[in-house]
Amino acid sequence: MNNYNINILVVEDDHRISRFICYTLSQEGYKYKSAGNAQNALGILVSEQMDLMLLDLGLPDFDGMEVIKKVREWSEIPIIVISARDQDKEKAAALDLGADDFLTKPFSTTELMARIRVAMRHMKMNASINKNPILSTGDLKIDLEKHLVFLSNHELRVTPMEYNLLALFLKNIGKVLTTGYIIQEIWGKGYGNDTQALRTLMTGLRRKIEYNPAKPKYIITEIGVGYRMKDY
Amino acid sequence: MNRHFINRQKIGYKLTLMVFLIAISSLIGYLFRYMGFPETNIVIVYLLAVLISAWIIDSFLLGIVASILSTLTFNYLFTKPYFTLSVHDSSYMITFIIMTITSFITSSLTSLAKKNELIAKEKEMETKSLYSLTNQLTDVDDIHDIASVVVKALSDCLSTRAAMLCFDQEGNPESSFIQQASIDAQVRRQIYDIDEIKRRMEELRTSHDEWGEFYDWPIYGRESILGIIRIPSEDAKNMNETHTHLLHSMLESTALAMDHIRVSEQRIKDREETVQERYRSTLLKSISHDLRTPLAGIMGSSEMLLDMTEKEDSRYILAESIYNDAKWLHSLVENILSLTRLQEGKLIIKKQIEVVEEVIGSALDRFLLRTGEREIVVNIPEEPLMVPMDGRLIEQVLFNLLDNAYKHTRYDDEISICVERDEVSKIAKFVVSNNGTSIPSEDLPHLFEQFYTTEGTNGHAKTGIGLGLSICYAIIKAHNGSITINNLTDEQGVEVTFTLPLEDYENE
Repeated sequence: MNNYNINILVVEDDHRISRFICYTLSQEGYKYKSAGNAQNALGILVSEQMDLMLLDLGLPDFDGMEVIKKVREWSEIPIIVISARDQDKEKAAALDLGADDFLTKPFSTTELMARIRVAMRHMKMNASINKNPILSTGDLKIDLEKHLVFLSNHELRVTPMEYNLLALFLKNIGKVLTTGYIIQEIWGKGYGNDTQALRTLMTGLRRKIEYNPAKPKYIITEIGVGYRMKDY
Repeated sequence: MNRHFINRQKIGYKLTLMVFLIAISSLIGYLFRYMGFPETNIVIVYLLAVLISAWIIDSFLLGIVASILSTLTFNYLFTKPYFTLSVHDSSYMITFIIMTITSFITSSLTSLAKKNELIAKEKEMETKSLYSLTNQLTDVDDIHDIASVVVKALSDCLSTRAAMLCFDQEGNPESSFIQQASIDAQVRRQIYDIDEIKRRMEELRTSHDEWGEFYDWPIYGRESILGIIRIPSEDAKNMNETHTHLLHSMLESTALAMDHIRVSEQRIKDREETVQERYRSTLLKSISHDLRTPLAGIMGSSEMLLDMTEKEDSRYILAESIYNDAKWLHSLVENILSLTRLQEGKLIIKKQIEVVEEVIGSALDRFLLRTGEREIVVNIPEEPLMVPMDGRLIEQVLFNLLDNAYKHTRYDDEISICVERDEVSKIAKFVVSNNGTSIPSEDLPHLFEQFYTTEGTNGHAKTGIGLGLSICYAIIKAHNGSITINNLTDEQGVEVTFTLPLEDYENE
């Protein structure tokens, strides 16, 4: 992947963090712009072609949520939210509003780069999803056309529900899916917010795809927020 | 003895008075006869004497004596033959009988009226003193002021030197009590047998306790004994029914007033505590938040430096130690945040049904992100285990335990997590163990105390400030679970066991 054509907008009010993120980005060959507040960020987004946004939720002028809402009105640009660890609710809300991923402070640069790669890949995949019906991560593979799941090249028997769940995760590899979002996608909008059914479904699926469900290789739990399919 | 003596004296005095009144009536009778008035008037005068003597003498028995005596005197002095008790005119017999009956009724009615008046007076006094006591008590805003007011009121009513001993919030007697010394002076007296008094009050099955210098009446509040009213023994022995009744009424008003003050004191205290607690946790929270951002900067920048430096370069070690220290500080900040969340009160525990494997997986994920690759053995039941818990906090517990294990083990020592379901006692049992260094037995009991650290640990051990385990303890306690730490018996190493109830009783 040629990073030189990718423009990243860093929205962070703390200069130290902003500086080191920008430095890391430049080291990796990304182009970047930085904004210290929401107003500037929105200004840059409108006037320039940006490919990804790193957004700190605690901005001096606007709430980060507001920024996500505004941006999602007219843009599909991937948004990675940067937040503190105990803001589970905010994280889930940000994801439900349309953010693609979140990073918890403090994060390592490797983690940051991995997330950016996932987000970019995800965007490209979205564009080509109809062309390639086979999605995979690690030894896990799904054929969306034939409705088949493979683990280490062996076909895996899954229930229709488990298939739907797995397909949803593989379409969103690396991305955190909130429990609310998953329930809505699997059971439909009218289902409400009963997480119990999802947990049961998830434990069942884990027992099929994971070697040890307590040390998951594929589906990682983000306590209080949701789940993430790991990208290998 | 004394009392009897007084009574005898009084009866003598009353008799004299009665005889005197009848003598006066007789004199008036002679005067009437001299002036030629009919005898009926003389009878009326005698009746008056009986009435007056009944009023003054205030005794039913003496009233009867007076009526008979006056009839006899009338017979003796004014009916023919004079100066004898015999009569010639038999119609006098009727006069005598009616006179006796009339004076008898008069005297008994009078003494009854007298008695009622006395009762009314006592009632009035009781009401009055109770009213004034209640009135005074409403203006008081301290337990000891109540004691002072009550002691004064009681001493006035019962004309004694009453005393009162207050109990403190925990229900223990205070070390001194207040006593009325004279009409307008009170003294504070030391108590030497607090425990004895407390014991006696707790074992008390009657309304009061007769013991030593005082008779003690406990003041029962809504929840516990609030204090003791003490009446000096010799006065207490002489108390009549009215006095006892008054005392009990006063006890009740006192209990009410004391309870009221206790409640409002508690409310003020609670409010202060809440405000303080909120202030403290807001402070800690904002500190932690402000710490996180620069920490993220330090960690990020030092990591960048690490990436840019060759391992052989002496600057690599410097960058690495900056990075490690920042990492350590970060885990400290996270722990402090968990602690503030906990200490804000139980409400913060948001119990939800969580799948144990997810929580373990999440904790492992975080742990491995921090420490790098490390083999952790995990054993969970085949059947998915659902436990009501605050997932984030239990994840923190597991993370802290893993982190501790990591600090006290070498790379090839085993660290394991094992979870079991106990059907009998309806708990989920988590065991986090390692084959690292054992803990000196003298340290074991203190490990869950805040800020307790062990000395002389090796391996990855870094001087901690001893928050990790105490946070685990606080979190598990808040979940109504238990947590213990032991050295392994058959091999080297340490195991921490914690349990969580499978059913959430609080929500039922």
